[in-house]
Amino acid sequence: MTSTEIKRAPTLIPGVYQTRIASIWRKHRSLGLTVLSLLLGFAGWQLLSTFVFSPFLVPPPVRVIKTAIPMILSGEIFRDAIISLSRVFVGFVAGSITAILLGVILGRISTLHDLVDPVVELLRYLSPTAMIPIAVIWFGIGEMSKYFLIFWGTFFIMLVNTTAGVLRTPLARQRAAQCLGASQLEIFAYIVVPSAVPYIITGMRVAMASAFMSIIPAEILAADSGIGYLLQNSSMLLQTDRIFVALLTISVLGFLCDRALRLIVDLTLKRFTVPA
Amino acid sequence: MLQLSGVCKTYGPESGGYIALKNIDVTIADGEFFCLLGPSGCGKSTLLNIMAGFEPASVGSITFNNDPIVGAGRDRMMFFQDAGSALLPWLTVEENMRFALRVRRIPKASWPDVIDKYLTAVDLAQHRDKFPAQLSGGMRQRLQIARALAVEPKVLLMDEPFAALDALTRRRMHATLLDIWQKTGKTIVFVTHDIGEALTLADNIAVMSVGPESKIMQLFRLDLPRPRDLADPDLRNTAANIEALLAPEIDRSEARIA
Repeated sequence: MTSTEIKRAPTLIPGVYQTRIASIWRKHRSLGLTVLSLLLGFAGWQLLSTFVFSPFLVPPPVRVIKTAIPMILSGEIFRDAIISLSRVFVGFVAGSITAILLGVILGRISTLHDLVDPVVELLRYLSPTAMIPIAVIWFGIGEMSKYFLIFWGTFFIMLVNTTAGVLRTPLARQRAAQCLGASQLEIFAYIVVPSAVPYIITGMRVAMASAFMSIIPAEILAADSGIGYLLQNSSMLLQTDRIFVALLTISVLGFLCDRALRLIVDLTLKRFTVPA
Repeated sequence: MLQLSGVCKTYGPESGGYIALKNIDVTIADGEFFCLLGPSGCGKSTLLNIMAGFEPASVGSITFNNDPIVGAGRDRMMFFQDAGSALLPWLTVEENMRFALRVRRIPKASWPDVIDKYLTAVDLAQHRDKFPAQLSGGMRQRLQIARALAVEPKVLLMDEPFAALDALTRRRMHATLLDIWQKTGKTIVFVTHDIGEALTLADNIAVMSVGPESKIMQLFRLDLPRPRDLADPDLRNTAANIEALLAPEIDRSEARIA
């Protein structure tokens, strides 16, 4: 045997059919697993609520779907969903914009930052839920109190993230721009703000989840419409199946909103999120 | 001419603070390739930042062509080791060049020619639409060189610019840099801790002691043609001298830790 001879591993020659299955699986592995995960989840839920828990307390998915269909067909669920979504949207956008504007200023002016930071540090532990009672007194149970609460839940997350992003702009990038001849305003607009974009986007995703978690208690305690109101109302009437429809709706809405946010970011700000 | 005399740098309170640099006197002529050589913690980056105007000296005078240096100036361009931080990662190669020309207020009509000229000089013309993250480390540093040259500074201040590159790429960057230096006649102040790198590149090597109270221990002048061969007896002799000078310094800095 010469030393240049290559030993071949014994190869299996699977049937064409097997190969095709394998290649389809390789291509769609992640989608397949997602579908499988959901199917298993629903199957487990069905089994648990049939054999372990009372179907009244934990309505099985088949009954939840049966309840959901007329709510979808009549448009009832969409009405509540759109009301909740518009509250989240207004509060989230207003909170984000205000926090980004303030955050980039605080990140640049350290005296102002040190002056404002202690107050922010105290206020940001007040969850939107803690603010509901006073919000109702200030703004009533109309839209304004919900906007305020979502704003509150968004603002501090965005402020902390934006400030951190601005503060972490690489010194080398600012100094290089300084040597090139950039003015302070140009460094701020062309270097500091774009460098903070990845932090701002992360903040928006966290704040979005927070907004979804804040709208429900706000609507449960002080509203006459929205998904939270649907939850509260169904609870009073012991309609557990309708409660589950509302809970599913919240999950799906939150997920879709996060995906939409990511898509918008990818379409508009992608180049700012590439790692250096 | 870049001139430092009696420069001291103290961090913290004026008395009792950490004295990083003590009584530095340096004169760097126009068109000279000047190396600051020393082990970690010898204050060579601090000294370079003072020359750039990023940090003020505590005591002493720093002048460029007899004008005192206050803050960063357009005639002195700093060049950083981490190109990923120094460049704008959200702009393509060409857009990075344009950014430099825009903030430098260079008339827009001349941009295409300037960009072509310098991207070609560093061999990046065919990569103008790529983002920095898509380039190799060496290519990113070449983009940084092109960007620095495009605004036509008189002095290039380079802070261990090639220390993060692999040895082969580093040698190619040395050739590129020497070629550009010889063609443009820029003054270059180059910080390194690599004796071989200093011997390959410099006209003058200032060997610094470790801190606190770093100073320039000795100045070596190399009147040898380039490209240089490190096996050359003259260079080997100089290398041995520098090493003999630095060995006790490194021992001293390690003893301070123990």
